[in-house]
Amino acid sequence: MRRDDPLRLLSEVRDLQIVDRDGRNCGICDDVELDGEPGSPLRVAALLVGPGAYSRRFPGWMMRLVRRVAGQRVTSVPWNCIEKITGRIYLSVTGESLGLRKVEDRLERIFQRIPLS
Amino acid sequence: MGGLIEITLGIMTAVGGFVDISELVFAAQAGSRFGFALIWVFAFSTIGIACYGEMSGRIAAIAKQPVFNLMRQRLGLHWGFPTLIVSSIVNTITCAAEIGGTALVLHLLTGWPYWLLAILSTLVLVVVIWVLPFKWIERSFGLLGLTMICFAVATVQLHPDWHAVAAGFVPQVPRGLPTKDLVVFAYFAVAIVSAVMFPYETYFYSSGGIEENWKPKDLKVNRITTTVGFGLGSLLAIAILINAAILFRPLHIDPQLPGSAALEVAIPFGTTGLLLALLGMLFAISGAAVETGLSTAYSISQFFGWEWGRYKRPHEAPRFTIAWLATFAAALGIVLTGIEPLSLVEWSIVFSIVVLPLTYLPLMLIANDRKYMGEHVNGWLANGIGWTFYAVLVIAAIAALPLYFATQGGQA
Repeated sequence: MRRDDPLRLLSEVRDLQIVDRDGRNCGICDDVELDGEPGSPLRVAALLVGPGAYSRRFPGWMMRLVRRVAGQRVTSVPWNCIEKITGRIYLSVTGESLGLRKVEDRLERIFQRIPLS
Repeated sequence: MGGLIEITLGIMTAVGGFVDISELVFAAQAGSRFGFALIWVFAFSTIGIACYGEMSGRIAAIAKQPVFNLMRQRLGLHWGFPTLIVSSIVNTITCAAEIGGTALVLHLLTGWPYWLLAILSTLVLVVVIWVLPFKWIERSFGLLGLTMICFAVATVQLHPDWHAVAAGFVPQVPRGLPTKDLVVFAYFAVAIVSAVMFPYETYFYSSGGIEENWKPKDLKVNRITTTVGFGLGSLLAIAILINAAILFRPLHIDPQLPGSAALEVAIPFGTTGLLLALLGMLFAISGAAVETGLSTAYSISQFFGWEWGRYKRPHEAPRFTIAWLATFAAALGIVLTGIEPLSLVEWSIVFSIVVLPLTYLPLMLIANDRKYMGEHVNGWLANGIGWTFYAVLVIAAIAALPLYFATQGGQA
């Protein structure tokens, strides 16, 4: 599927794995941000990634619990950075350039200091 | 050569995953209590795990989707997240049972304190996973675990009545049992289904397929490993059951400790047999500890879309590494509280079966989705077996907890 093909947002985009240009995992599409005004067609503006995006899909008590444990970070992935969607969402750019993989990269640097890692 | 290596993965999953501590305990107890009458449940469940294993491998090769990506995508957050939580708890309890079992076997071999051996074996497993390339871990545990074949050799040596053994493969409920014993029989049947179809086996197997970048040409190897590999594991478990029926049943011995199963080889082959049986059990159980520990890390990493993989160095998938380290730490913590490994086995069995329907539903849905699977979509055979077992699993999941309490974990 290409970026400008019609699609069913909930079943075909939400909860899919996001993979960047270099084939690295960059999280899951936790929610979608729509853009538009009353009377005009809605357009997908961005995919949202991070605990701040998926925690609001839970019931109230669980949302608060998840936010306390995982934080409220949300990263926005502009729709025009998507190359294709085929079971996974492939980006045309690197995850870092969009602010994805921050935790992963920080931990990776820490782990590199441990012997034999 | 490449095909042979992949078959090794199948054999390891069969030996390390099939004959783990729960198989040992339940096969030996089933044989000593009900003779050959529960053989058919092992055989029947093996068809189920072979079917779902094949399906998960096929999905890995064609749709490139690991189980917990599928779960998130098909069940959504509302069902997927609770499934993740419960299956992580179940995996951790199972991992604790395997570590406890490893420590018990080592205790029999060395006489050292149980708690010390639990700590040492966890440390060794963590260092082995951290340092060695995964291929090495897979081959060492897989090949050393094959020592378990001594149980099958013991079966031949014990000269069972092969007609009676063959009759055990026919579905049956023993006649003339009082209601109380029938309920225990039902508990054992459900426990064996759960032990054979442990959810971590498919998490582990399909994740391996994705990491090894399986393609449509690998489907044949997938089919062979899930049928022959799992079949071999099942035959070993059945051998343990047959030996227990011959040796323990006439003496009214209830082999509750995993170590008792080693006597099945010690009686016909003496000290050498005992040593081989204990070593086989050690490698099979510790192999299963590795699989369960890593499976929790797979589940969490795939659900949240992190980097994951046992072929990556620890720093290349840092959150995956933290997840498996935390699983081993939690499992060791559970063992050190002093809970009996047998109780851990029972809990993991009962809670596993509750997770199974939620694990296999996304598999069935994707395997039937032509958009993902193209021409490799489920055929009538896979669908027939898959949905039949799905119904069996739902019934077993509903019955598991009441049976567990009614029989006090099979002790009644």
